[in-house]
Amino acid sequence: MRMRILLWGISILVLLVLPPLVIAIGQPFYLDLTRRIMILAIAAISLNLILGYGGLVSFGHAAYLGIGAYAVGILGFYGITNGWLQWAVAIGASALVALAIGAVSIRTSGIYFIMITLAFTQMLYYLGISVAEFGGDDGMRLKSRSQFPGLVDLGDPVAFYYVALGLMLLSVFVVYRIVNSRFGMVLRASKSNEARSRAIGFSPYPHRLAAFVIAGAMCGLAGALYANHTNYITPGLMSWQQSGDIMFMVILGGMASTAGPVLGAFALLLLEDLLAGWTQHWQVILGPLLVLSVIFFRRGLAGMFYKPDA
Amino acid sequence: MSFALLFEQLLNGLQFGVMLFLMAAGLTLVFGIMNFINLAHGSLYMVGAYLAVAATQWTGSYLLGVFLGLAGTLVVGMIVEVVALRTLYDRDHLDQVLATFGLILFFNELVAIVWGRAALFASGPAWLQGHIDLFTGSRYPLYRAAIILIGLITAIILWYVVTRTRLGMLIRAGASNRTMVAALGINIRLLYTVVFGFGAVLAGLAGLMAGPIYNVQPGMGELILIQVFVVIVIGGIGSIRGALVGAIIVGVVDTLGRAFLKPLLGTLISPPAAESAGPALASMSIYLLMAVVLAFRPQGLFPARGG
Amino acid sequence: MLEVRRLTKSFGALRACDSIDFDVAEGETHAVIGPNGAGKTTFIGQLAGNLRPDAGAIRFAGKDITNLPAPKRARMGLARSFQITSVYPEFSVLDNVALAVQARSGRTGFWRPARGDPVLVDPARRVLEEVGLSSRMNILAANLAHGEQRQLEVAMALATEPRLLLLDEPMAGMGTEESQRMIALLSNLKQRMTIILVEHDMDAVFRLADRISVLVYGRVIATDSPGKIKMNQEVRKAYLGEDA
Repeated sequence: MRMRILLWGISILVLLVLPPLVIAIGQPFYLDLTRRIMILAIAAISLNLILGYGGLVSFGHAAYLGIGAYAVGILGFYGITNGWLQWAVAIGASALVALAIGAVSIRTSGIYFIMITLAFTQMLYYLGISVAEFGGDDGMRLKSRSQFPGLVDLGDPVAFYYVALGLMLLSVFVVYRIVNSRFGMVLRASKSNEARSRAIGFSPYPHRLAAFVIAGAMCGLAGALYANHTNYITPGLMSWQQSGDIMFMVILGGMASTAGPVLGAFALLLLEDLLAGWTQHWQVILGPLLVLSVIFFRRGLAGMFYKPDA
Repeated sequence: MSFALLFEQLLNGLQFGVMLFLMAAGLTLVFGIMNFINLAHGSLYMVGAYLAVAATQWTGSYLLGVFLGLAGTLVVGMIVEVVALRTLYDRDHLDQVLATFGLILFFNELVAIVWGRAALFASGPAWLQGHIDLFTGSRYPLYRAAIILIGLITAIILWYVVTRTRLGMLIRAGASNRTMVAALGINIRLLYTVVFGFGAVLAGLAGLMAGPIYNVQPGMGELILIQVFVVIVIGGIGSIRGALVGAIIVGVVDTLGRAFLKPLLGTLISPPAAESAGPALASMSIYLLMAVVLAFRPQGLFPARGG
Repeated sequence: MLEVRRLTKSFGALRACDSIDFDVAEGETHAVIGPNGAGKTTFIGQLAGNLRPDAGAIRFAGKDITNLPAPKRARMGLARSFQITSVYPEFSVLDNVALAVQARSGRTGFWRPARGDPVLVDPARRVLEEVGLSSRMNILAANLAHGEQRQLEVAMALATEPRLLLLDEPMAGMGTEESQRMIALLSNLKQRMTIILVEHDMDAVFRLADRISVLVYGRVIATDSPGKIKMNQEVRKAYLGEDA
């Protein structure tokens, strides 16, 4: 336990001093990269809630990245640049869509559930493509970043970095509290043994749906951040390749662990960055690597450091 | 909107449905019998298309190209099964999803390395280039009619195999109770391999037939795969009959939606609004259909598993 | 407390339960015995809410529960233990029972940790003490010996403060010493609880049961006190043989 706290402390420290460090050595690219990783880590953290702890293999989680991003983009398109409003809509819209999709999907299980969540995400993807006003297939440029007047300027790379870091840590903490709360215990128990849970009087469905909505909302926030980070929003953000990427972060890092999704995000995205530097055909290497990792590397990175939370 | 136009679109819907069926049949059997979710099925579709195009260019003969394409797809499918998928049969669905996802990345990139990212030009054989005359007075592309014919023949063959042969009996038994079939001493490994091979050939067939109509390019498999998922969810896992019914429904709904929703909406709401709402709704139509079916029948229309 | 009338369930051509009538009075321990394949599991499944009967009715504490889903029955006070151990393997013994206590309390929370909460932990501890697993509180359920797992099964059912305990072969797979411990536990329980006991262990059945129902091929062929059941010709022929 103390080991865990120590590792967390060191990691947070490293992330805190990163900006001045990379600026000092003249490599601001790493600031950008780390920020991107942390934002996607939030998506992974949210997915871990329903996938790692809840056992819901949702292949459509990237949908909420897209919804969050487009909320920022579309509101900005119409001149609404207030960050609080934009991000509130991003979170709210994601939660509503998650409620709608979850209400239908969670009544199913197994292969059905995987395919259905995938199909609904694809539906949103096509919706995004077909609405030409917002760029359709090519996507749209962000007119301006989310404004938080008097508080922080997201245009400042370092300030934005710390906002992302803070929100990532907040997400970690929120999920940590949720999964250890009564609600979280029921969610985890339902994953562990559904028949037993029903036999003592728990109804898995409402718990799963609630978790699904929370995860969607959190991912929507990640989407809003991502839009600000890239300044450009494409429907590709909602593609199932993106969903698969997020899933891999969760698995690679170790499911049902607090640090897992963060570790996984760093591992996968750094690996992608590294491979992309070697060849433009890096996916031909990444693909088999992922297959091998699934076959041989079940417990994920967090499993290497310590036993996952019971 | 004339009846001739409607009928032509119905035929298009049927043609699309038939291709969806070829993909769905193999996939639903793999789901039902092996409880294995294979995202890389779309890659086999893509491999079929590419190999057929390459083989046709190489040999100069369309039929030879088709044969080699199918054989090649079968070989690729078998290799993938033995090397990567065998170890995953006992794993949970999440692992299967992730591993086959990795395979998709691999195949898409492999195909891009060999043939480039631009769409390949694939034309059907010269003897299928014409049109046939419909009773409605309009003409319909011979190639598409051929697809419908081949698809229906395949459906009949499949129906025959599944309902009238011993192999088919094993398949149906396996789809409704896998453990029982294994307990009866049937060589389950062999059955799995046969089923997988079946599916691979069907996917390859769909792919090579699709070549001249849709684009032959990396990622083509995934576009159709998700629609195949919708077919299977609507039809019910493990059921060939469900796959056929689901495929026809999805094919027709999607095609008719794309053709007629925009003009239809244009009569109800303002044309400029219909301009964007039309295509948007059309592309969402089959998913909304799936949601409706699920609301009433969460197991699909003809689930293979009883109760 | 429990009334079953004309309960029927078929699987295709197989009549697993054939118009079963069955009663349990409050405070009674009513055992259900019968050869394998007699339909005991199907019967329990319908009582617990995992299977829908084709016909017939089940009344619990005066309410019709025939179509009530399992979680609702549990919340009404109908608890069950499983024949094949069904606990939460990755959680500790204490966590397992605390979860059952939490289910009983019906209250939820999204923020405060469930683990340290005395509202959950204290009753859980008491149940574990009664069942005899106090010393194994912090062991992962997966690491328990088989007999201990069976005890945990009972503990979890107990922790929901049930009005009716449905025990499905609690002694399954136990050695003699473990069985004796379980029988002792159940003897204590029977003083304050209504129990339906499905069992093969005849020793336990005859020591614990106030009444015994014998199930053969989906029908109840006899319901009587243990003494009378021992003497019943049909029962001896169908099931007891020379054992009794």
